[in-house]
Amino acid sequence: MTDPTQQSEDEARLAALIVKSLNLESDPAAIDPQAPLYGEGLGLDSIDMLEISLAVSQAYGVKLKSDDKGNATIFASLRALNTHIQDLRQA
Amino acid sequence: MTLEADNPPDCSPPDWTVRQERGSAFAMRAAVWLALRLRRRVSRLFLAPACLYFLLSSPRARAASRDYLGRVLARKPGWTDSFRQFHAFASVVLDRIFLLNNQNRLFDIHIEGEDIVRSLAERHEGCLLFGAHLGSFEVLRTLGRAQPDIKVSMVMYEDNARKTNAALNAINPSLALDVIALGRPHSLITISQRLNEGHFCGVLADRNPGGDELRRLPFLGEQAAFPEGPFRMALLLKHPVILMFGLYCGGNRYQIHFETLQGQTVDEMMAGYAWRLEHYCRSAPYNWFNFYKFWE
Repeated sequence: MTDPTQQSEDEARLAALIVKSLNLESDPAAIDPQAPLYGEGLGLDSIDMLEISLAVSQAYGVKLKSDDKGNATIFASLRALNTHIQDLRQA
Repeated sequence: MTLEADNPPDCSPPDWTVRQERGSAFAMRAAVWLALRLRRRVSRLFLAPACLYFLLSSPRARAASRDYLGRVLARKPGWTDSFRQFHAFASVVLDRIFLLNNQNRLFDIHIEGEDIVRSLAERHEGCLLFGAHLGSFEVLRTLGRAQPDIKVSMVMYEDNARKTNAALNAINPSLALDVIALGRPHSLITISQRLNEGHFCGVLADRNPGGDELRRLPFLGEQAAFPEGPFRMALLLKHPVILMFGLYCGGNRYQIHFETLQGQTVDEMMAGYAWRLEHYCRSAPYNWFNFYKFWE
């Protein structure tokens, strides 16, 4: 049984991308994959989310659209965002 | 922009706007119905007594008005100055009803800088339209007559967005104004998409909606706090930022001014915004509709 608070390889890559694109001080490995990205948790705002979406489209070649289903859930956590990106890449 | 959106969430609003906000949707519909039946000329007869009543019964709005007018007029303002400011506000609110019901022909509207928006529209290029609580943002709709291709979305805080939609419903349910609510994770991604689709996204950039970082800038002779958010957003979105001020000039006259806001940094853009806002405040002093303590 894997520890749910551990980042997977893909999640670690995404965490590094987020920290780099937002110039965060925090250690990417220290981001709890289940903690909220927006508001509480990492304390990011919607401007940060736009920066993340731009960085994601460059790095992964997928677009995070605002009319995608489950908008609120995409940014719920590092894990949710990573799952969404992986789904888009396979689509 | 609606009356209900004129309430700065982080400051307790003047008692008269609260009273208006408490007005039910029914009362709003009734007022709209009445105004459209009575027509503009007769409806306007009710503005003066209403303003007098609010002037007498709202000490906080009155104090804010005197504070602002003293700065912009560079003299001690009298009762008549505050009355003129309240009356301009009431006129603009009333005129929204007519503007939103396609009665543009009632108005004499002069547009400066129309070529700026025309060339953007022709290229289907989106832009951010930065306005303020100065005059009327709704006169922008009359632009649709000259530029039918322009699609306008308003960016506002969620609470205001909800109230705005309620007011628009009362004024004219067939209006398809796109309101983009801020304060959600994907808010800016939505704005970015709209801009890429060629929309004009309107933002009232003079008020601190709460939660935003503030920056103090010289404004009408003293430091005032402006929100950084709209300007950070503008830099990131990399679309042109156009200033838009729809000034009410008395009678049935409006002047719309478009200008490009230049700037490579948040500092430069904010300084430019405050400078131009000050310029338009001086040219139409009674158009200032922030009836709360703007300078702390």
